[in-house]
This record gives sequence, structure tokens and C-alpha cells, in this order.
Amino acid sequence: MRGQMTHLDTDVLAEFRAGLITGRRGARITAHLGGCERCTALDEQLAGGRLLLASVPAPAMPDSVARRLDTVLAAEVAHRGAAQGNVARSGAEQKDQAERADGDGAPESPAPRRPGGNRGFRLLTLRVLAPAAAVVVLAAGGYGLSRANLGSSTGSSASAGSAAQGAAPTAAASAKSGGSVNAPNAGPTRGAASRPEGITAAGITVVTGHANLSHADLGQQVRAELNVPASARTTRAATSTERGCVLGLIGHHQLELVESVLYEGSPATLVVARAGARDMAWLAAPDCSATHRHVLDTTSLPSGISGP
Amino acid sequence: MQDEGAPADRELLRRHVAGDADAFGELFRRHRDRLWAVALRTLCDPDEAADALQDAMVSAFRRAADFRGESAVTTWLHRIVVNASLDRLRRRAARPALSTGDEQAFEALVAQDGDPARASDTRLDVDAALRLLPPQQRAALVLVDMLGFSVADTAAILDTSPGTVKSRCARARARLLPHLAHLHGNRSAGQSVSPAQGGDTA
Repeated sequence: MRGQMTHLDTDVLAEFRAGLITGRRGARITAHLGGCERCTALDEQLAGGRLLLASVPAPAMPDSVARRLDTVLAAEVAHRGAAQGNVARSGAEQKDQAERADGDGAPESPAPRRPGGNRGFRLLTLRVLAPAAAVVVLAAGGYGLSRANLGSSTGSSASAGSAAQGAAPTAAASAKSGGSVNAPNAGPTRGAASRPEGITAAGITVVTGHANLSHADLGQQVRAELNVPASARTTRAATSTERGCVLGLIGHHQLELVESVLYEGSPATLVVARAGARDMAWLAAPDCSATHRHVLDTTSLPSGISGP
Repeated sequence: MQDEGAPADRELLRRHVAGDADAFGELFRRHRDRLWAVALRTLCDPDEAADALQDAMVSAFRRAADFRGESAVTTWLHRIVVNASLDRLRRRAARPALSTGDEQAFEALVAQDGDPARASDTRLDVDAALRLLPPQQRAALVLVDMLGFSVADTAAILDTSPGTVKSRCARARARLLPHLAHLHGNRSAGQSVSPAQGGDTA
């Protein structure tokens, strides 16, 4: 039996076909395959396996994942733009913001418009609407407001409002409830006045709303919520769970609105944050928390466009 | 698929680094389906894959200036996605059941993904079989055999040598064979060869 080869092991044959076995050993395998039906069948199976793998179509990316990535990317783009703009920000503006942060509830003049993604540093609004059914959070734009600031509450560090280019005016209405302040907001209005009070030392203010949002045209529905005059809203302080959820969602972006709503008929919380030239919105499930990011839907609203 | 006349990947990346707000989005959308496939098949979990792809996208966005042009942009993107995916697998290493692989685990996974009687569902069977592979073998096999990357590009993506890629792929193919043989009708032949008989003798 000298010079003869036993049947080939699957691993050896796979290595041979991968080009890992060459030279005299490879020649012996080639010769063996020429006269052994059993090993030839195995070789064909290995080749068939590769063809099978190549034939399986790549899984399509789910729409929900695509939307999520779009939203995150929009935030990154806005953040970069804001960061670039922040460099040029003047000390005078900072002083102005600090002063506004101290003016609880006072009407504010529209924030100055900034170019491009440089709208950060102004907390537009935080609104909380109605019924306990759902909560919506809208965070608006600035990047200058850190998560720590949002969380901690130093009202003074949260600067108000954002300027929006082009957009509608914002109602400066602010409602207070539960000890927190509401800012006017911003709604649709990006150029509107801003108040530092959307997030206060007491935490996040939630607008108690009645809206029943749905996936179709979600961007326009969010925009409509942003447009509701603050004077027409009622608010309450966010619970610790809501607060953890909101801060987890918005990251370093500026919170614009948190509102309890219905989404597809079920309770949810709408969270909107401003990220430079865009608003990002999340619909958080009731069990969303700092450690459980449960988002039912997301959308982003390009600046000056009513809907995604 | 890139449209004719559309800017090349490198040009889009250059524009992004230069401050173009739309360039990275166009670049990422161009490749994201394949990136998704890599993440999903490496992690075998849609939620984990979405998280890994998001992490990778943000990382690529922020680190674009570090791209040195030594490989294709798509290779660079895939490398980031694979690394993000393997990082996640390392973190959940406490759950080794899906990577050690045996017949019992395979049957359990098939049952989890669908009725085993519907073995005609090739995708489900392949997905279940892939879970039996160690992560590094799985990543190599997905890139070479399922997504058509060359061994050299795969080595660049996985930051290893071409020989290691070949070895991982070979072991993965051999390991999957008994689990995929029924899909191309020659299972009995595959089962007839005992690994103990392997090797060549002079």
C-alpha cells in the first residue's frame, strides 16, 4: 500500500482547495482525487457548499435600521457643524446666554441667526404635553449644552433657544409645572426665542399632550407638535425614568421638547432635540430608561423642511 | 451601486474630511447594504448588528481623516464594521453556546429560526449553520464566500495574513459541510467520510 493515500479528510481537502497544500503533498491529493469517487464526491460537496453560500442573497437592511442610521448620521453632521461654529462663538454671546438663563420666564427676543450648523448652545424648548398617555421629547439643537448640564440642572448653564434659520416663529410661551420651567419654544420655529429654562435644576419638563402620532408623515406630525403654542400646553416634571431615557437618547444634543403622546394608539414619549441644522425626534416606549433604550420610531427634520 | 459619473469613494471621503456635510452620507449609503450583511452575519443578531453598524458608522465618520489610502475605502469601511462586530461578540463571550457548535445546537437554532421541516428555506439554514462557527472563521467565510471579497482584501479587513484567511475559510467550509450538504443533495456522501480517516500517507 506504499504510496497510496487513504480517503481524504474534509479539513485536508478544504485546505487543499484553499491553496494551503501544495508541492508533493498537493500532487498526491490531486492524483488521489483522480481515482477516488468517494473523495471526488466530497470535493464536489465542498465546491457546492461555496456555491450555495455565494447564492444566498444578502439580507436587506430593515427600514427601521436605515432610518436609525440616517438619524444618527444627521446628528453627527449637525454636531460637527455646530462644533466648527462653536469655535467662532464670541464671548459676548456666551454672556448673553448666561443672562438669559437667569431670566426665568421672561419673554425673550429671538435669538440671533447663525449660519449653518451653528445654532448650538441654545436650548430652545422643552415642552410637555398632556395626558399621561405618552411622552414626547424634543430636543433642539445646540451642542454646547452638555449632557451633564442637562442632567444636572444648572439652569444657568443651559442657554436658551436657538435660532433657526428660516423658520417660523416660536411661541415664547412657557408653561411651568412641577417646578420646572418651560420654555417657549421653538417649535417650528427655528428662529424663535429661546429660553434656558427648558431644562432646569428640577430636571426635564414634560408636555402632557394628546397627539396620536403615526409612522406615516411622522416628520410633519412632529413639526406640528413643535408649532403648538406653549401657552396652550400643560406640563409636568419628568420622572427619573423618563429623564434617563431622554438623556440617553439625545446624548450631547440640545433638548427641545419632551411630550407625552400616543404613537400608533399606544402611549409613548416624543423626544425632540436640535442637532445643528436638523431636529431629531424619537418616540420612546413607556419602558424606555437610561439602561433600556426602547425606541419605537425615529425621524429627523431637515432645517426649514416640514418633514423628513 | 455607484452611478456612472458619481464621485469615487475616495473623493467622497476627501470631501467629508474637508467639511462637506453630505459626502459621508452618500458614501455610507452606497455601501451600507453590504456593511449590514457583514454585521448581521457576523453577529447573527439583528439588534446587535444594528448597534454595531451604528457604532462603526459613527467611528468612520469621526475618524475619516485617519484614512491613509492604503486600501480601498470600502475595505476600510468593512474593517471598521467587522471590528465593531467582533468587539460585540467578545463582550458577549459569556454566551458561548452559539460559537462552539454541535449538532444539538444546530437543531435548536434551526428550530428557533423556523420549522426544520422547511429545510428548503436555504437562507434560514445557512444563517443557522453560520452561528456554529467561531466568530473569526465566520467573518472570514462571510467576506470571502458570501460577499465575494478576495483573500487579500479580506486579510486587510481582518488585519491578518492571507494565509490565515485561507485557513479560517477552509476550516469553516469543512465545519459547515455536514450542515449544508442537504441543501445540495449529497449529504450521504459527506457523512461517509470520517475525519479520523483524514490525512495523507505516503
